[in-house]
Amino acid sequence: MLVKEKSDAVIERIQRLREKVLSTKPSVCTERAKIYTQVYQENEDQPVIVKRALALAKTLQEMTIFIDEGELIVGNQSSQHRAAPIFPEYAVDWLPEEMDELEKRPGDAFFITEEHKKELLDIASWWKGKVLWDRGRALMSQELRDLQDSAIIKATGNLTSGDAHIAVDFQKILSIGLAGYLEEIKRYHGNVERFSQEGVRKDQFYNSLTISLEALQVFIRRYRDLALYLSKEEHDETRIRELEEIAGNCENIAEHPPGNFYQALQLTYFIQLVLQIESNGHSVSLGRLDQYLYPFYRKDLLAGEISEDFASELLENTWIKLMSINKIRPWSHTRFSAGGPLYQNVTIGGQTPDGKDAVNELSFLILRSVGNMKLTQPNLSVRFHRNMSNEFMLDCMKVIEKGFGMPSFNNDEIVIPGLLELGIEPEDAYNYSAIGCIEIAVPGKWGYRCTGMSFLNLMRVFLASMYDGLDRETGKVFCNGTGNLKDFDSFDELYNAWKRQIKYFTRKTVEIDTAVDTALEENVPDILCSAFVDSCIPRGITIKEGGSKYDYVSGLQVGIANLGNSMAAIRKLVFEEKRISKEELLRAIESNFEGVEGEKIRQVLLNYAPKYGNDDDYVDLLLKDAYTEFIDELEKYHTTRYGRGPIGCKYYAGTSSISANVPSGAVVPATPDGRKAYTPVAEGSSPSSGTDVLGPTAAFKSVSKLPTQKIMGGVLLNQKLSPKAIQKESDKQKVISIVRAFFEELKGWHVQYNIVSRETLLAAKQNPEEYRDLIVRVAGYSAFFTTLSPDTQDDIIARTEHTLS
Amino acid sequence: MIFNIQRFSTHDGEGIRTVIFYKGCPLRCQWCSNPESQSFSYSVMYDRTSCKSFGDCLSADDQVITRIGNNGIQIRRENIKEPERINGICPSKALTLCGESSSVEEIITEIEKDSPFYRESGGVTLSGGEPLSQGEELITLLRKLKERSINVNMETSLHVRWEMIERCLGLVNTFLVDLKHLDQHKFDTYARGDAEMIMKNIKKLTDSESHVIIRVPVIPGFNHTSLEMNRMIDFAASLEQVSEIHFLPYHTFGKAKYEMLGMDYLMGDHSQVEDSELEPYIRYAQLKGLETRIGG
Repeated sequence: MLVKEKSDAVIERIQRLREKVLSTKPSVCTERAKIYTQVYQENEDQPVIVKRALALAKTLQEMTIFIDEGELIVGNQSSQHRAAPIFPEYAVDWLPEEMDELEKRPGDAFFITEEHKKELLDIASWWKGKVLWDRGRALMSQELRDLQDSAIIKATGNLTSGDAHIAVDFQKILSIGLAGYLEEIKRYHGNVERFSQEGVRKDQFYNSLTISLEALQVFIRRYRDLALYLSKEEHDETRIRELEEIAGNCENIAEHPPGNFYQALQLTYFIQLVLQIESNGHSVSLGRLDQYLYPFYRKDLLAGEISEDFASELLENTWIKLMSINKIRPWSHTRFSAGGPLYQNVTIGGQTPDGKDAVNELSFLILRSVGNMKLTQPNLSVRFHRNMSNEFMLDCMKVIEKGFGMPSFNNDEIVIPGLLELGIEPEDAYNYSAIGCIEIAVPGKWGYRCTGMSFLNLMRVFLASMYDGLDRETGKVFCNGTGNLKDFDSFDELYNAWKRQIKYFTRKTVEIDTAVDTALEENVPDILCSAFVDSCIPRGITIKEGGSKYDYVSGLQVGIANLGNSMAAIRKLVFEEKRISKEELLRAIESNFEGVEGEKIRQVLLNYAPKYGNDDDYVDLLLKDAYTEFIDELEKYHTTRYGRGPIGCKYYAGTSSISANVPSGAVVPATPDGRKAYTPVAEGSSPSSGTDVLGPTAAFKSVSKLPTQKIMGGVLLNQKLSPKAIQKESDKQKVISIVRAFFEELKGWHVQYNIVSRETLLAAKQNPEEYRDLIVRVAGYSAFFTTLSPDTQDDIIARTEHTLS
Repeated sequence: MIFNIQRFSTHDGEGIRTVIFYKGCPLRCQWCSNPESQSFSYSVMYDRTSCKSFGDCLSADDQVITRIGNNGIQIRRENIKEPERINGICPSKALTLCGESSSVEEIITEIEKDSPFYRESGGVTLSGGEPLSQGEELITLLRKLKERSINVNMETSLHVRWEMIERCLGLVNTFLVDLKHLDQHKFDTYARGDAEMIMKNIKKLTDSESHVIIRVPVIPGFNHTSLEMNRMIDFAASLEQVSEIHFLPYHTFGKAKYEMLGMDYLMGDHSQVEDSELEPYIRYAQLKGLETRIGG
């Protein structure tokens, strides 16, 4: 192996690769779509699973591959950097409808040539009526379709793409290699008895696995050949040696377990890549990278075969490769995932199965290299626990200071007990990792979508409980109510109406999920992904058929803070203080707080009702109760895998609602918390924008009052800090100190830091109402930005610019 | 009476602290950045920028509050008889009543809310206004905090009778004492107080073996010269028990509040003091064996 120091040339080379990926305009690649269409057309007699294996195989054998100038880690998803492949088998209707608009999108635009458009039109016309979307909708009752169309329950993304939200068993992959998998499959395949229907299915499954894995080997060997070819053309001696090493790496890992750190990282990346060619589900995650790669790193380091600098370059190269992978979503789904994220999570830190600190040299290296690259991929999570060293926490703060929101923290102190209570074996519970954003699963043993099932719009449900079940947006009554707010004599009557409505909508989310899951299982089974998840191979079934060891899922509940704030406002101002009459409130929200009277009501709602995020039991406990009504109902239901093998097969709550708070708010009229119609609702479990005016500790207290141990789909909390607030080491220590208190004493679930940019400060100056919680570091103290005079604000804006470099 | 409780305060003593801001101060420092803290009774604050001219406040007392066309209101503060009537009347909180008569128990409840965050070094900081002007209630609070083992810092000018300070001994972990000037004439012009009394109290306090940190506001036109500053540093260094001095550079962040309170800002157009201007003072203080810090 090459032992190299991180010279200026290396740094420059990495920067060049990074720039290239960042400056490449996202585009569309049709290769995969053409091949999949052709294979499906030519193999109509084959069962779906074999068709899919053949299609993947042909893609891996024929798609364009390339090795970029200076790359050390190789493998591309499509014909160009950031070109999103098309997955026609999931959904095609949106293609002809949206292809002319792709370039003009206000966000997440894609470049597409006229030739590609023509190809896609042909492809779309063949697939029409045959895709996942059509099947999913066909499996729903009219009521469920209406509910989906109403946008109260959204599962669009689940029917236009694959599942994912999963991390596979990289530890096993690295220890037995691809040949090891083929042997294992052969062994089980040999024992299949073909005189039962089950046997016939298993036979097909093992056939598909073999086809897919062998194709993966071919794919890797194609890079070996390409690297060798390029080395012959190359004149630079160093680059020739590098290309030869790439070829050697590919040669070995196409068959055998990796022999060193470099090969282990290359194989890990290949698997991560190919899972995203097989399926377009996002949140395909790398799991605990610092744990399973560490033995390789340690061995190389001791043998003097790798330097820290070279390992760091390889990692940085890998992050750039992850960034090059892209996904195109229909516009309806894009708005829920603004910024085109793939959510490829890397988790570091945490504990070993015997409860010791698992942080090692590689954890530091991963952390720093992600900080060096400052990209949106991978999504880096740190598993916090009470014995985590201050040294590591300080390094985390230094990366957070760079202002790109990473790493985020998950808390072992609540997650592990939560997992144990679900019946996860201790060894597995201690080995959990973050998936996608903040949700968690045991890598290689858990099915899809530990979060990411349907989205439930809580505020539409709450409004229906104020109007006898009527959804004013559609004019429909989905669930008969118990009366109108105007006739209620007490808050309890309203609360009971909520209970009735939320019970109904909770059940409907499960019904929609069940239809979606059935369609996914029948139409688009993943084969490679199943190979790498325990125990699909022994059971002879895919993950979706119940192949995984554990199966727990969660949907996303959107508008948490608005629910608590709306209930508290009505209870306090309407029923207790009678400062606002029921009629006044209804008139105000129905008119979107129009006119002087409407605005006056809104100001009273904003300023005189308790708000979640300020450590006020009045609203915090009310919200906890209201949300618990949902959780209690949800616990009654099972997933489609129930009774088919996995432990669990149940739902839990989840709040990791990505950017869904914006489109979810866009379908909600004005609400009793003073929120105007069609503006965003609160994100995740965070307080509503600008309402947590007592600072981060009070927000922590409020969030920790939620039934966090039951919200295993994630309790997402975003906090904002100004760059100045964590500039000095003593300030970083203070942030560490509150994070420790939040996690150790209050058993918080998750937190991530948003270091506010100059742009945010400018926006805060324009719209102070939305930024009342923004803390900035002023002279010698911290202050709420919006409370400062305009000239002081300008001053701070100017100063912040200095600190952002 | 208090006017604010600020949680997650990181620059008023060590660690994460909750700051209790008491209302009422014997001094009238012209650079004061909390002018609402000066009066011992309610203050009426009016923020024209968030006034939406709803007019609800006019009903509170039509002799006192009058509308100025469509451009907000005018308040005759000297005629206010029942300030409580203003409390909660303004929907947009443009007009607010500053000051709360909280009981010791209520204050303790608020302090304990953040107790998970205090950990080894944090706690509560009593500030103001002048906490030592609060009489018996302050002593009761301090005793209860001691019972609960909550670390207490106090920001004070020591511009009170020694007997009051004496009662706090053993109940306050750290005194953060403001030292503004040694010259009586200058002190009187800018702060309307007795410099001699403060110096005597500082000496007595340090003799009592209390932990004291000296804090010097650096104010242009008042004490921002090497001559004046070095004298204060010499004084601080002469106190055997004092090992630390903080310099608090003048800023104008409180300026807007003067207008909200209907008060005149007498500091004129002085610009804020940059950290770099403090370098000679820092060097001199270090030469004198003091630990230094800029800001709290």
